[in-house]
Amino acid sequence: MAEIIELNQTGATKTPCKLHPQSMCPAFGSLRILTRLEGSHPVMATDTGCLYGLTFVTHFYGASKSILAPQLGTAELMSGQVVEGTRAAIEVAGKEPGVKLIPVVSLCVAETAGMPEELLPRKSGDADVVLVRVPAYAIHSHPEAKDIAVAALLNRLAERDGPVVDKSVVLLGEVFPADPLLIDALLRRMGVSETIFLPGRSIEDFRRAGRAAAMAPLHPFYKESMNVARSIGMSIAGGAPVGISGTYAWIKSIGSILGLDEALVQQVADEERAKATAIVAAQPLSGTVMVTGYEGTELAYARMLVEAGAHVPYVSTSIGQDPLVLPDEMWLKAHGTKEVIYRKALEEDVAAIDRYTPDLVFGTTPLASVAKERGIPAMYFTNQLASRPFFLSSGMAATIEFVAEVLTKGDRYRFMQEFFAD
Amino acid sequence: MAPTVIRDLSDTSGYWAAIWTMCPMPDVHVICDAPVGCFNLVGTAVPDYTDAVPHIENLTPATMTEQEVGGKGTADKVKWTYDNLALTGVLDNKQVIVVSTAESEMIGSDHSSLVKQLGTGTKFYYSNSLAEDEWAGRDRVLVWLWDEYGAQQTATVTPNPRAVNIIGPTYGCFNAPSELEEMRRMIEGAGGTVNIVFPYATTLAEMHRLAAGAVTVVLYKEFGMGLAERLEKPILTAPYGMKDSNAFVRALGALLGTSEQAEAFIANEKKTTLQAVWDLWRGPQGDWFSTLDVGIVAGRGLADGLERFLGEELGMKIAFSTARPRRPGDYDNEATRQHIHKKAPSFLFGSMNERIYLREAGARFTNYIPASFPGPAVRRAVGTPFIGYRGCVILMQEIVNRLYDGLLNFLPVDGAYAAARGQGGAPAAAPSGQSGNLRWSSDARDLLDAELQKLPYLPRISASRQLQMVIEGIAREQGATEVTVDVVNAGLAANRS
Repeated sequence: MAEIIELNQTGATKTPCKLHPQSMCPAFGSLRILTRLEGSHPVMATDTGCLYGLTFVTHFYGASKSILAPQLGTAELMSGQVVEGTRAAIEVAGKEPGVKLIPVVSLCVAETAGMPEELLPRKSGDADVVLVRVPAYAIHSHPEAKDIAVAALLNRLAERDGPVVDKSVVLLGEVFPADPLLIDALLRRMGVSETIFLPGRSIEDFRRAGRAAAMAPLHPFYKESMNVARSIGMSIAGGAPVGISGTYAWIKSIGSILGLDEALVQQVADEERAKATAIVAAQPLSGTVMVTGYEGTELAYARMLVEAGAHVPYVSTSIGQDPLVLPDEMWLKAHGTKEVIYRKALEEDVAAIDRYTPDLVFGTTPLASVAKERGIPAMYFTNQLASRPFFLSSGMAATIEFVAEVLTKGDRYRFMQEFFAD
Repeated sequence: MAPTVIRDLSDTSGYWAAIWTMCPMPDVHVICDAPVGCFNLVGTAVPDYTDAVPHIENLTPATMTEQEVGGKGTADKVKWTYDNLALTGVLDNKQVIVVSTAESEMIGSDHSSLVKQLGTGTKFYYSNSLAEDEWAGRDRVLVWLWDEYGAQQTATVTPNPRAVNIIGPTYGCFNAPSELEEMRRMIEGAGGTVNIVFPYATTLAEMHRLAAGAVTVVLYKEFGMGLAERLEKPILTAPYGMKDSNAFVRALGALLGTSEQAEAFIANEKKTTLQAVWDLWRGPQGDWFSTLDVGIVAGRGLADGLERFLGEELGMKIAFSTARPRRPGDYDNEATRQHIHKKAPSFLFGSMNERIYLREAGARFTNYIPASFPGPAVRRAVGTPFIGYRGCVILMQEIVNRLYDGLLNFLPVDGAYAAARGQGGAPAAAPSGQSGNLRWSSDARDLLDAELQKLPYLPRISASRQLQMVIEGIAREQGATEVTVDVVNAGLAANRS
């Protein structure tokens, strides 16, 4: 977890200071996942300001789910009542109808005060109590906090003893609801026996996941979860079914890891490649696009857009540099991308708008507003791009169609800018 | 002491109060001594939903990481942030305030000495975030701002006998633009002029002119009284409902020496703005109010005000009313939740929390009207106040329109269209050869009645018919000659899905 964030200007590139880091509160990533699970009743251990903000965004982006917390003010923190309060909240959560899981989300002040896991119950009634440590000062981005939550659940819940389900695979990552159906259909055609998509609505899926033969993270920040999978003895398929070359490589990789029929896998891979190529040929993108969200998936989106014909000189993300993202970074740099920025700050993204004069910006809300102030078409990456079908050729078609349409909207953005310029 | 368990916290901390009170003033720049989350939530993620701003631009974090928490302390990071911000030029002509957070307080960061080494005038505000809630926090930061930036500069200020100060809103105050607009209108109607709207529509540089005001209006009862008392001028609070609005205008007129104008304004409001209330009251719509019950969860001023207008003046039954901050005896969220689960009122003014409890309860027939935070709500149009004369009209109009909407959702629509879409079963009318109503066992009838009693009055009639049709449809499918408790339960389940 320890990581030093570079603050100073970095030599030759003269990137600006990272004054305004761009990430949701990291803990939000874990809360989103944990509140969406049916039968999960989270307890948050934190101060009131943090509790207010995180429940606010979780009740908007996560689930309509009541959230419990111990009161942790000066009195409680100074008298060492963090654990006692948390236990009391766990007890209340344990009385919810249908409770199966009580995740204890431990945040900055609780982590600083100390939250010894051994002093928490492992069970409340029949419900599993699982500690998820996500202090913002140590996790840095909300995608990485999703990984912490998934890893904690897998660690506790995954069944390790039963027989491995041959040719089955766990797919990891929050995706558009249609994506799992399409990926599942494609994999079954290749001879896969069963797919499990995590994280979703079902706690049971975390249990079943332990008996899968392989894990395929669809997003590149599930490092801790992959470690848990490896410890169970699962194989890991790298990459993701994104774009033309990415999908082709991923299909082959899944086929080889699960020992599927080679000819069949090759046939499916060829078909998907042909479909994706035809989609691009029918509607090639042109123009300069900046892909600068904070979801941790930005490099994959950039790669798809480049394959579709767009020029993507600048990509930035909230996650840290990691071997898991390296293939996408190398691919992008070999295909015209000048800069890939990790742990980005608003200053860097704004400077990039100046440097690359994009036709379209996908960014955080502050960045999108900066672009709109300049009359440049811009959208909030999280709401508009990360919430559409994305995977395989059909996801590529949906995403490209959307981007192509937005690229034609320049007049509207210029009109608004000019209207409010006076 | 037994630990306190919080459910869905309604009131945020002193740190949020500080940022949301300081940052509306454009000549302030705040450096928060915060981990990334405390910066993002307060400065971007939440004000996007509360105030409909893309982000708060005059806020920068001295981003705290493991190093700082692990023993290094945050002083270097604060200094680095200040120096680099200064290099970009955004601090030119700004007053810089360094604000503590729960986490910086947790590790004992106190920058009252450090700020003296930063640019001239930089100050440190200890937000006391581990102990203070947003209401006490706003109250204290308003007084602090006055003491630090206003109080010493009042010598040159000439008092204006007609000038009225407004304290509040800050960021994160529900319905702020509309409440402010109606308050301005009422002050001007009563013969006054608006002096300073602090902190929402002023600057740190001009806030000392608060001293010119003859009267102080506290817009939100839940905070601002501390500063109002410090200003040592007569204090009024924003009125809700017709009686209190009249009393407010009269009191203001008396204080400003403009009673005649105030009376003329009241008379004119009755003939213009409030005419809608009189018309609706005399019309069939007015009859409905005494048949409806309402739950209220809102800021203290609004909760008191809704009780008075909806309850005392329009005659709605107050199912429960709980204020933020809570008054003695007010429900906490747990009690509100239990009340809603047991019997949801026809109308519920509240926050996202109550909306969740309604969903948990399956209370589809309750009209939820956003009236407090937390919760996403765009309230930037200035024509939808809850206070004052216009507030009376908006509230009455909103409730009637919700009733219309409920009725329109309940009037029968020919079932064949749903069947043609492949949804729902065949219409529940008796097939040929079978005529009249099915017989109902008395237990079955009691069960249906009990279920209908839970519904708000207005939709009950239509719901009764619809449920009866669904249930009898199931009975006929089963070939039953009598409707039993089991069939009713099946019908209720089918109706819920």
